[in-house]
Amino acid sequence: MMRGLFILGTALFWMGVLSVRVADRGGEIVPDTTAPVAETRYSLAQIAPHSTPEDCWMAINGKVYDLSAYLPDHPSRPNIIAPWCGKEASEAYRTKTRGRPHSEEADLLLGTYLIGVFDAGVPAPPGQ
Amino acid sequence: MKFLQRLSIPLVAGALVALPVFWAYPVGLPAARAAGIVLGWVGCGLLLSSLLLMLREIRLTEWFGGLERMYAWHHVLGTLAYLVLLVHPLAFAIDAGRYSTHQAWAALSPWQQQWPVWLGWAALLGLMVGLSAAFSRRLGYSVWRWLHGLLALAVLFGFAHLILLGLSGQILLTALLAVLLLLWRVVRTDCGLAARPFMVDRVETEANGVVEISLRPLAQTLDAQPGQFAMFAFFDGPDFHGCREYHPYTISAVDPDGRLRVGVKALGDCTRRLQSLRPGVAARVQGPYGNFLQDHGDRPQLWVAGGIGITPFMAVLRAGSMTGPVYLRYFYRDPADAAYVDELQTLEGRLSMFDLRIQVGEPDPAALAEALPGAEVLAGCACYLCGPPGLLSSAMAILASRAVPRDDIHYEHFDFR
Repeated sequence: MMRGLFILGTALFWMGVLSVRVADRGGEIVPDTTAPVAETRYSLAQIAPHSTPEDCWMAINGKVYDLSAYLPDHPSRPNIIAPWCGKEASEAYRTKTRGRPHSEEADLLLGTYLIGVFDAGVPAPPGQ
Repeated sequence: MKFLQRLSIPLVAGALVALPVFWAYPVGLPAARAAGIVLGWVGCGLLLSSLLLMLREIRLTEWFGGLERMYAWHHVLGTLAYLVLLVHPLAFAIDAGRYSTHQAWAALSPWQQQWPVWLGWAALLGLMVGLSAAFSRRLGYSVWRWLHGLLALAVLFGFAHLILLGLSGQILLTALLAVLLLLWRVVRTDCGLAARPFMVDRVETEANGVVEISLRPLAQTLDAQPGQFAMFAFFDGPDFHGCREYHPYTISAVDPDGRLRVGVKALGDCTRRLQSLRPGVAARVQGPYGNFLQDHGDRPQLWVAGGIGITPFMAVLRAGSMTGPVYLRYFYRDPADAAYVDELQTLEGRLSMFDLRIQVGEPDPAALAEALPGAEVLAGCACYLCGPPGLLSSAMAILASRAVPRDDIHYEHFDFR
């Protein structure tokens, strides 16, 4: 019986893999880079207040992202990514603090959370 | 078997699965992702249980109800681990499919990922190839065994996959446990550290293709009871090259000076080679194992022996440890296969409660039915069967038809692969 289960399980597995491959219609994730979003500039002081998992912004590689909706889906324990909310996180993103970069798919997915451009030198508006 | 013994393996396996699952249970994740993570841990726990059951330690066999039972569960748990781990990567693909089918394939395909996922794939494919070999009925034993070792490598890749994923803390103890279990098995069993050194003292031809080998202990002998078996590996000596693999043989006598005797029939490569064994060959022995012919008290016994299956009964007769009447029915196909017949007939003359019947010829259901005692004799008998599967199943059917309870029928068959 174990032999039968092995054969059946293996066959179903490869059928599953094949289905996922065939279903991949090559639909790329296209980041929404409409001009108003891409133009809004944020400084570190403006990003810093958004530092909780429920309200999480990050500056990565010169752009700013609102990752609040994505955080639960991030493939690691929450205490790995949450500390970077409200911070400039380019180095952490590039290396995952282990010398390993994120994949191309992660880069594309990140793009869908774009909210603006990071400006290291923009002073905070008055009253903020 | 005692109730707790019967539960022992499921309880241990359950604990080894439950511990990592509860420790690393994902909270607040989408269903498919959580399922993928949980299934990974279930597979891990099942693999650890399977590894534990490949340790051939005597104390473990006593707790877990015997070596054969441990091996049966080892196979089941190993296969279940594999089936669960097949779903593990597919669950992550389903989860990524929430974004797009492109993401789903990206989550699955190894060439869009890095070392952690490559190792996971290597582990899964290693399990696939290793299990294909394990289930193959056509491979020779040496090749089969070597490919079975590939599964150990697959397990190591799997735990490396866990470590490279960045998991830390107590959960890494699972990886440590896996390595320890594998090392334990390799050092104690495969390298023979748990085995005791013996030397072949005498080899006598008992019948056509059957030799009785007498082994002298070079250190401590085995504390074996009549009916038990041990794992023997034969090495080299003058004019002989053993196959150096451990195989189970029933001990046919434990002599007062610590010598062990085993009767070996030529049924495969190793046993054929043993037919030309000479004194002076080194051997290593692990054991003893088994509880065949134990725990029957003073009850009358029926012994059904087919071919080389006579050996455990010879051990009891030679030890003189019969405590009640014994009906021995000994079957073999050809007069040239008659092993131990002279000795048995001598013993019949000497022992009062020993009823011997020998049947020579091709298996014949009618002759078998006629040779076995009737229901009135069998009432209250403890029945012990040792021989080829065909004889065992025919005899069990006849005993059942003569109202012998299933619990009173005990049989021994070496089916470890």
